[in-house]
Amino acid sequence: MERRIDRPRWLTVAVPLASLVAALVTGAVVLAAAGKDPFATYDRILQRGFLADGALSATLVAASPLLFTGLAAAVAFRMGIFNIGGEGQLVVGAIGATWAGLTVGDGPVGVTIVAMLVAGGLAGAAWAGIAAALRAWLRTNEIITTLMLNYVALNLATYLIFGSRSPWRKLDGSGLMFPQGKPLPDRAEWPSFTVGDVVLPLGFVVGAVVAVGLFVLLRSTRFGFEVRVIGDEPRAARHAGMRTRRVTFVLLALSGAVAGLGGASDVGDTRQVLDPKALGQAGYGYAGIVVAALARLNPLAVVVVAIVMGGLANAGRALQGPDFPAGLVGTLQGLLLVCTLAGELFSRYRIRRTPGLQLSDDPPAPADDGAPAGATA
Amino acid sequence: MNAAALGLVDLLATTDAPVGVTELASGRGVNDNIFVVIAVSAVFYGTPLLLAALGEMLTERSGVLNLGVEGMMLMGAAACAWTSLNAGGPGWLALVLALLAAMAAGGVAALVHAVLVLTFKVEQIVSGLAITILAGAAGLSSFLANTWDLGRGPVRHRLDLIEVAGLGDLPVVGPILFRQNALTYASWLLVVGLWWYLFRSRPGLHLRAVGESPATADAMGIGVVRSRYLHTVAGGCLAGLGGSFYPLAIIPLWSDGLTGGRGWIALALVIFGFWRPELILVGAYLFGAFVSLSFTLQARDVEVSTQLLDSLPYLMTIVVLVVVSAGWARRRLGAPAALGQPYEREAR
Amino acid sequence: MAAPALSAHGVTKRFPGGVVANEDVDLDVRRGEVHALLGENGAGKSTLSNIFTGLYRADAGHLEVDGVPVAFSSPRDAIDAGIGMVHQHFRLVDTFTVAENVALGEHGRFRPRVAATRVAELGARYGLDVDPSARIWQLSVGQQQRVEILKALSREARILILDEPTAVLTPQEAEGLFAVLRRMTDEGRSVVFISHKLDEVRAVADRVTVMRDGRSQGARDVAGTTTRELARLMVGRDVLLGADHVPRAPVASDEVRLALRGVSATGDRGGAALAGVDLDVRAGEIVGVCGVAGNGQRELAEVIGGTRTATEGTVTIAGTPLRKADPRRAQRAGLALVPEDRLHTGLAPSLPVEDNLALMAYRRGPLSTGPFVRRSRIRDRARDLIREYDVRCPGPTTATRVLSGGNVQKVLLARELSSDPQVLVAASPTRGLDVGAIESVRALIVQAAERGVGVLLLSEDLDEILSLSDRIAVIYEGRLVATVDRADADVEELGLLMGGDTAHRTGAVVAPS
Repeated sequence: MERRIDRPRWLTVAVPLASLVAALVTGAVVLAAAGKDPFATYDRILQRGFLADGALSATLVAASPLLFTGLAAAVAFRMGIFNIGGEGQLVVGAIGATWAGLTVGDGPVGVTIVAMLVAGGLAGAAWAGIAAALRAWLRTNEIITTLMLNYVALNLATYLIFGSRSPWRKLDGSGLMFPQGKPLPDRAEWPSFTVGDVVLPLGFVVGAVVAVGLFVLLRSTRFGFEVRVIGDEPRAARHAGMRTRRVTFVLLALSGAVAGLGGASDVGDTRQVLDPKALGQAGYGYAGIVVAALARLNPLAVVVVAIVMGGLANAGRALQGPDFPAGLVGTLQGLLLVCTLAGELFSRYRIRRTPGLQLSDDPPAPADDGAPAGATA
Repeated sequence: MNAAALGLVDLLATTDAPVGVTELASGRGVNDNIFVVIAVSAVFYGTPLLLAALGEMLTERSGVLNLGVEGMMLMGAAACAWTSLNAGGPGWLALVLALLAAMAAGGVAALVHAVLVLTFKVEQIVSGLAITILAGAAGLSSFLANTWDLGRGPVRHRLDLIEVAGLGDLPVVGPILFRQNALTYASWLLVVGLWWYLFRSRPGLHLRAVGESPATADAMGIGVVRSRYLHTVAGGCLAGLGGSFYPLAIIPLWSDGLTGGRGWIALALVIFGFWRPELILVGAYLFGAFVSLSFTLQARDVEVSTQLLDSLPYLMTIVVLVVVSAGWARRRLGAPAALGQPYEREAR
Repeated sequence: MAAPALSAHGVTKRFPGGVVANEDVDLDVRRGEVHALLGENGAGKSTLSNIFTGLYRADAGHLEVDGVPVAFSSPRDAIDAGIGMVHQHFRLVDTFTVAENVALGEHGRFRPRVAATRVAELGARYGLDVDPSARIWQLSVGQQQRVEILKALSREARILILDEPTAVLTPQEAEGLFAVLRRMTDEGRSVVFISHKLDEVRAVADRVTVMRDGRSQGARDVAGTTTRELARLMVGRDVLLGADHVPRAPVASDEVRLALRGVSATGDRGGAALAGVDLDVRAGEIVGVCGVAGNGQRELAEVIGGTRTATEGTVTIAGTPLRKADPRRAQRAGLALVPEDRLHTGLAPSLPVEDNLALMAYRRGPLSTGPFVRRSRIRDRARDLIREYDVRCPGPTTATRVLSGGNVQKVLLARELSSDPQVLVAASPTRGLDVGAIESVRALIVQAAERGVGVLLLSEDLDEILSLSDRIAVIYEGRLVATVDRADADVEELGLLMGGDTAHRTGAVVAPS
C-alpha cells in the first residue's frame, strides 16, 4: 500500500458516495437486527427531516448551531489546529450574547442583533484565545486545553443561572421558586425570512454569510494563503518569513469567534434565554466537528452537511418513541462518520503489488550533517 | 441533537445525589469525620476514573491517542447491564460474566478505533470522536439500551462492599482501605501490576520505546503496529470495565449517558498523572473527591460553589499540561514523544 | 593467514532510477584491525555499510564473516552474526536511561539493576564511562555515542562499524573515542571506521580503503601511504579533467553584496557549528564554498537566511546589516536563498506550484492588493515563470511534490531569482539531479552572476565548485580554512583541506585574513 501522488477527480465524488452507501447499509443491518424495518425508518427520517410540511424549516433551526460549530472546527483543522472547544466557545458566546440582549434588548431590533453578534463573537474569541495563546507561545497542545475549557465554560454558565444571583438570572416571578435564566425582551427576538415554504432563521443566514466569508478568507486573502502554507509545511513558512505563531493565534481565536456566533444564534433565534442545561445536552460543539470532518473542511460544504445533520437531529427529536429508539440518530451519524473516515483511505492511498520485497529499496538519503538524533516518524 | 450527546448531563445535575453517597456517608462506624467521609467516597467515585485512565495510559504509552474513552465506558456499561439482567446462574458467576462482557464491549470499540487509526490511517482525534459519537449517550449505547430494554429494572447484581477481615473498623484507615468493593481492590492491584509492567518488565520496556521513539523500536525489531493494536484494545477493555462500575455500583437503573462524561475526565487524568500509574491513582481519587465534595459539603452547610469545585479538576489539568509542555519539563515529565503521530516506516 | 573478520566480494547495489551506489566492491577487514573506509559523500560508503548491517541486500556479490559466506535478510541477522553499527543518527530513546537503551536490544527478562551493572562493567572495560542511570537527553553527544557503542558491545559485536563518528565530537572526545577503539581491537574485535577526514584516518586506522563514485580504489596500509595520495584517490584527478571553467565575463565590480564578519553560531546539538567566518561576495562574482556535508554549510545558509541566530559577528546583505534573525528582513534586503532541503525547507510540498512560486512575492503587489491575494495574477505569473525557466510540469496547479528533483529546483530558482535579488545563496543546488537538470541549474546560476547578482555557492561537489566559481573557499568544522582565486586553486590541496589536513598547504593557498 503506498501513498497516492495525485487524486483522480472521480475519486473525490465516488468515495464519499460509497461511504454514504456503506453507512446506510450498516445502519440498515443494525436496525434489522434490532427488529425494526430499515426502509420504513429511513423513510420516516427523510420525511420528518426534510420533506414534510414545515420539516425543512425546523431542520434549518436545528442546523444553525451546527453550521457555526462546523465552520469553527473546519477553519481551525485546516491548519492542523484541533479545536475541540467549539462546545465551550459556543456557550461563552451565548453568555455574552445574552448579556448584550438583556442590556440593549429594549431598543431597536437591529441594534440588538448586532450587539448580540458582536458580544457573542468576542466572547468566543476570548475563550478560544486562552487556548490559542497557550498553544502559540507555550506550545501547549490545544486538544486538551480546549476540551477542558469546555467543561469550565459549562460550569460557568451553570453558575450564572444555578449558582448565583447574577444578572442572567430571572429573579422574580417563577424565578423565585426554581433557578432559570432571564428571558430576553420580546423585541429582541431575531427575525426570520420566509422564502416560499421555508422559513430561514436569521442565524442560519448569518451562518451562510460567515461560511462564504471563510471560504473567501481561506482562498483569496494573504492570511488564508499563509494558513495554507503553514498547514502544509511550517518550516517552509518560517523560512519564507511568515509569522507562524501569530497566525496560529489569530486562527484559533477566529475559530472561537465563529463558535461564539453560534451561541448568539442559539439565544437569539431559538431560546431567547441562557439555558445551560439545554446547551450541555445538545453537544453542538462535538457535532460540529463531525460536520466539519464530513464536509472535508470546506466551508461551503459545511453548510450542506449541517443541513443534513440538522435534518437527522430534527427527525430524531420528532420521531422519538417506542418505534424509534433514542440512540438511532447518534448511531447513524457515527456510522456515517466512521465510513467516511475509512473511505478516505482509498483516496489517499492505493494498493499495489510490490514486486518481491527488498528490505528497503530507498536510495540512500543525502548525507546528513549532524541533524538531531533519532528520526521521528 | 437530543439527549446528552456526550454525557454532559450529569455534570449539571444538581438535584440527584448519586446512589451510594448517602450510604457511605452514613457509614457503618460512627464516623462523622468529614475527612473520612470524603476519602471514602473519593476512592469509591475515583475507581471508574482510575480504571479508564489506566487503560488510556496504556494506549497513550504506545503512542495512540484515544478520545473515544467515554463511548467505550458506555458500551461497557451497556454490555454489563445486559448481562446482569439476562444471565442466570449463581450470583457471583453472573457478576463475573457481566464484568467480562463490559471488557469485551470496550475492547471491540477500541479495536474499531485501532483499525481506523493504524490501518486506515485516519487522524487519531477524529477517529476517537467518531467512536464517542457512535457509541455515546446519543448513539449505540442508548440504541442498544432501548432495544434490549435495559431500563426495565435495576440490574440484578451489585458490587457489594467487601470488608477485609474486620480491619474495616480501624479508625480512619478502616473504611477507606478495607471496606471497599471488589473492583476497587482490583484497581489497586492493577496499579501495582501496571507499574511493574511498565518499569520492570521487558514488554513494558518495549511499550515505552514504541511510544517514545517508534523508529528506534522498529530498528530494534519491536513490532510498532502490533504493540499499538494490543495496547489500544487493552485500554478499551479497561475503559469498559470502568464503565461497568456505574450500573453495578452507582446507578443500578439504566439511564442514557449514565457515565456522565467521566470518560473525558479519565483523559485529563492521564495527563495529570504524567502517564504514570501511581500518580494517576492519586489524581483519580483527587478528582473523585471533587465529584462528591459538593454533596458532602452541602450536607454540612458549607458554602462553596458547586460549579467552582466541578471546574477545578479541569483547570488543574490545564495547568499541569502547560507545565508539562514547557521546555524544561517536557523531557522529565512529558507525554510519550510519539503520541498522536502516525508511524510510517518509509517516512524516515 | 586467518580469514578476515568481514569481507565483501564483488558487491554491487543499484537503486531505482539508475543510481549505482556500489559497483563491484571488494573489501576485507582483518581481525583486530581498525579499517577506515574513506571517501566523499555519495562515494558509496553508507550503502556498503547498510549492506553489512542487513538493511540492504546486494544485487550482486556476497559477504563473508570469518571466511564463511553469509546472507542477511534482516538487521537482526547481521546482529546475530556479530556485526554492530553506530549510525550517524543515533537510535536512542531520549527519555530512557542509558541502561534501558542498552537493554532494549537484548533478550530475556529486563532487570534494571542487572542492566545497569552490565553497563558499568562494559564501560569500565573499554573506557566508555557513562552513568547507567542518566537519561539520554541529559548526556552530551559524545556520551550518547558511547551509549551506542555500548549497545553494540553488549550484543557481543565482533565487528563494529562507525559511520562518521567524529562528526559530532569535539577533538578531545575524538581522542577518547580512538582510545576506546584501540582497546576493542586489542581484544581481537574489528572496527570499520567510515570517514572523510584524512587526519583522523591517519590517527586511528591500520588500513584504509578509499571509495569513489561507488567503486573501491583498493586497500592500503595507512603507514605506507601519504596523505596527498589518499586525497588524490578520494577526489580523483581524471574526473576533474572534464571540469572546464565555464567561460564568463570577468568580474568588474568591487561592490560587496554579502559580507560576513566573525560569524559564529551554535548547532542543533549545542556544539559550535560556525566559528569566526569571514567572507565577502561581490556583485557578479561566484564564491564557491566546498566542503563535505556536515561542516557547517547548512548553518551558514541558515544564518544568512535569518532562520538561525548568529552568536557572534555580523551579516550584511547589500549594505543592510541583519541584526536579528529575520527571514523577511533578509529577503527585503535582497537575499535569495535556495536551501539544501528543497522539499521541506524551501517549499510546501502539497501546495500547487503556483503557490510555491508566490511564496516570496505574495505580500506585495501585483500579487496582492490589500489583504487579498489575486489568484489570477498568481497563476499568470506562475505560467510566465514556468515558461521562462522551462519547468516541466502539467500546469501551475500541479502539486509541487509530484515534480522531479530537477524541476523542483527550477521552481525554487525561478521564485528566488524572479525577485531580482542582490545576493543568491545556493546550497547543494545540483545534488541528486540528473545530468540535464544539472546543466540547467548551473546555467541559471551563471546567468544570475552575469546579471550582477553576488552568488554564494555551497557545494560538496568539487567539480562544480571548480567549474563555476571565481573564488573558492573550503569549510571545515565550521571554519573557512582557505580562500583562493580559481586560477590558483590546486585540486589536491583543496581535497586535503576538505579532509581537514592543514599541514600540507603550499604557498598558493592562502588562509583568510
